[in-house]
Amino acid sequence: MSAFMQQIINGLSIGSVYALMAVGYSLVYSIMNFSNFAHGGVIMLGSYFGFFLLTLYKLPFAAAFVLAALGAGALALIIERIAYRPLRKRNAPFLYFIISAMGASIFLENIVIATIGPTFKTYPRILSPQPYSFGTLSIGRLDMMMFIISGVSLALLVYIIERTKIGMAIRATAYNMRASALMGVNTDRIIFIVFGLGGLLGGIAGVLFGMKYTVYPQIGFITIKSFIAAVFGGLGSLQGAVVGSVLLGIIETFTSGYLSSQYRDLIAFALLIFILIVRPMGLMGKMTEDKA
Amino acid sequence: MIILEMRNVTKQFGGLTAVGNVDIQVEKDSIFGLIGPNGAGKTTIFNLITGIYKVTEGEIIFQDHPIDQLQPYQIADIGITRTFQNIRLFKKLTAYENILTACHYNASYSILDAVVRTPKYKKEEKKLGDQADKLMEIMELKDRKDIIASNLPYGLQRRLEIARALALNPKMLLLDEPAAGMNPDETIKLMELIRQIREQFNLTVVVIEHHMDLIMGLCDKIAVLNFGRKLAEGTAQEIQANPKVIEAYLGEEEVNC
Amino acid sequence: MDWFYIQGILILSGIYLLAVLGLSLLTGFTGLFSFGHAGFMAVGAYITAMMTVNFKMPFILALLVGGVAAALISLLIGRLTLNLKGDYFCIATLGLGEAIRLILDNVQYFGGARGWPGIPLKTTLGNVIVINIIAIIVMANLIRSRHGRNFIAIREEEMASQIIGINVFRYRMISLAVSAMYAGVAGGMLAHYLGFLQPKMFQMAKSTELTIMVIFGGLGSISGSALGAIVLTALPELLRSFAKWRLVVYGLAVIFIMITRPQGLMGGYELTFKNIKNFFSRIGLKANEKTSIGGDQS
Repeated sequence: MSAFMQQIINGLSIGSVYALMAVGYSLVYSIMNFSNFAHGGVIMLGSYFGFFLLTLYKLPFAAAFVLAALGAGALALIIERIAYRPLRKRNAPFLYFIISAMGASIFLENIVIATIGPTFKTYPRILSPQPYSFGTLSIGRLDMMMFIISGVSLALLVYIIERTKIGMAIRATAYNMRASALMGVNTDRIIFIVFGLGGLLGGIAGVLFGMKYTVYPQIGFITIKSFIAAVFGGLGSLQGAVVGSVLLGIIETFTSGYLSSQYRDLIAFALLIFILIVRPMGLMGKMTEDKA
Repeated sequence: MIILEMRNVTKQFGGLTAVGNVDIQVEKDSIFGLIGPNGAGKTTIFNLITGIYKVTEGEIIFQDHPIDQLQPYQIADIGITRTFQNIRLFKKLTAYENILTACHYNASYSILDAVVRTPKYKKEEKKLGDQADKLMEIMELKDRKDIIASNLPYGLQRRLEIARALALNPKMLLLDEPAAGMNPDETIKLMELIRQIREQFNLTVVVIEHHMDLIMGLCDKIAVLNFGRKLAEGTAQEIQANPKVIEAYLGEEEVNC
Repeated sequence: MDWFYIQGILILSGIYLLAVLGLSLLTGFTGLFSFGHAGFMAVGAYITAMMTVNFKMPFILALLVGGVAAALISLLIGRLTLNLKGDYFCIATLGLGEAIRLILDNVQYFGGARGWPGIPLKTTLGNVIVINIIAIIVMANLIRSRHGRNFIAIREEEMASQIIGINVFRYRMISLAVSAMYAGVAGGMLAHYLGFLQPKMFQMAKSTELTIMVIFGGLGSISGSALGAIVLTALPELLRSFAKWRLVVYGLAVIFIMITRPQGLMGGYELTFKNIKNFFSRIGLKANEKTSIGGDQS
């Protein structure tokens, strides 16, 4: 039983980081209806920002953390400006957006390989490896921190979306971009905010992920799993992204724990295909009827 | 003889009723007009007939067969096709290619025939080419053959869309605001064109339009929709004399002017 | 530079040309994006190798079996996801491509993640050229037929395609299956050129690289895709020192192409004798344009 609870705790901790990444995919999808595959590159670079700020510039952890998140947010905005905005302005077919996103993701991954190198980098140890123990259960300090930071960031995001005026504009734009624009919502600004928020959270996730594991250019592959989580929960739905991520985290730790870690990725991708077949709109997504 | 019948058709989006309990009967070889204020459900009716939307309730019968469960391409196969309010051409193809593509199912050669270029392929491909040429001729698009569709003037794009629809040899043609954006001269020419193709292709035509001159001059029968319901039906004279219509539709026009 | 080396580059270009031709049909002509073509290549590679190694089948026949196997897998995923709107097919191919690779990692019959050495070297420059010529003719003939026009119509305007009687789902399935078959045969040829297979060779990066080649050449152009495949396979081989920056430049170039010239190098035009002639006569016309202007009666 305690082994079971332990797996759940591990799953929640990794799931919460997936959630931070997944909401970035979902936010952009809800507004622009395409999968922003460049988000993986943003997360990866966020992780590198954090690493270099801590090791090269020896910044205190909190400062490095905030700067890395801001850096990732800025990067997401730059990508939007360069790779998507021109397409948006001339109403390009959505195929072009995906291709452009793919180009951005290839560029980011390979510029890191070419300049920093393909090797794994290890974050300096910040927290003591001594876990907190609750009876028979133990929770790593880092896992605890991941869970708390993710939880707080997500709660803030939900607050912004649900309770503020900007959040209302975002929801309206997600519902119908054209109508919102006609109602006086500055959709350019909304898209700017959405990319910025997604990048910010992606940067946080990147740092947390780097601390837990390591930093390397192909982190993008991990971020694909958070994308799977977003699809699982329902692309375009924030709640869906969070629920999907937590479930995926738990499913993964259970697969590693009870089957074999070899099957962990396979299960994730199989889950992706399965959900697309059985319920393509995801657990919490909505299916829309095409307008003629 | 009735060629198309809608029986008690309802379409709801979520809780909103776009079309409610509409009954319509269209005579074969007639020109049938569908009018009503914006948002009255006219285009929704076209989308229901062509299978883009599925009916929530009711039946649509074409030549004695129910068609409300068919896919759009199957509805095209049985002889109903349409144009769109916001022109949907194959924008990056030439005028000729637009028509040639639509001619496709007047040929029956298989993929294998195409890949090895069998005599059947050559014969049928030539037939399609001739058909496309003929259509361009009839629709007076011949001198614009190689112009990219999106570069055509607006009026010609509408005409090309009609030509593309005719390439299917349809029995019934649905025109969604064919005169939108046209000046009175062009509208009169369009009216003549619609009459002409009706004769030449043995068509039944259903037309949605806001140009009252066109509708009143052209249609054998007119149905008026308002808020998704059928308000009235009859000949042009009957419609013009109907107080309910004047109040709901023409009356509103007066207020606007 | 010796002949053996050049021959190697030519063979490799030819193999990728085949896969890119297939992908060109799917992405360039039908407007569907795939992240899974490396997966279809993998299926073709492993099945073809199984046929020649374990069943002693003749190479050409084995290639066909490999191609058909890839097509069947593609039909399975297509059947389930091609009727969905927007992104979902593309996402599904991502899942499929990676799942195929991860499954192969665990199939000990094929050597698992360690790889499968000792596959007979049967791919020669001769059979690469012959197969490519056939493949190009087949593709060109397919495109220039009513079926080809239907693919393009779907790419251009899905709803209008349905309205003129095109069974969109069916044509997407055909496009996908043909495309996967090309990838499968390419995979089989790759296996019998390298003599060694490893699931790692078929990562998602490979799929995206194939797509890049299609985009370079131009969406909707067979000769463009062919050009893209040959140039982008041969160039980095010739410029070894450039290798590190290759994908950096590709990534940037893809974005640049999308925002400035999405039709790519060839822009939907084909390199045919007729077009080349037209091109030169147009240059001739331009020179005379001044004298003929004003006679336009429309």
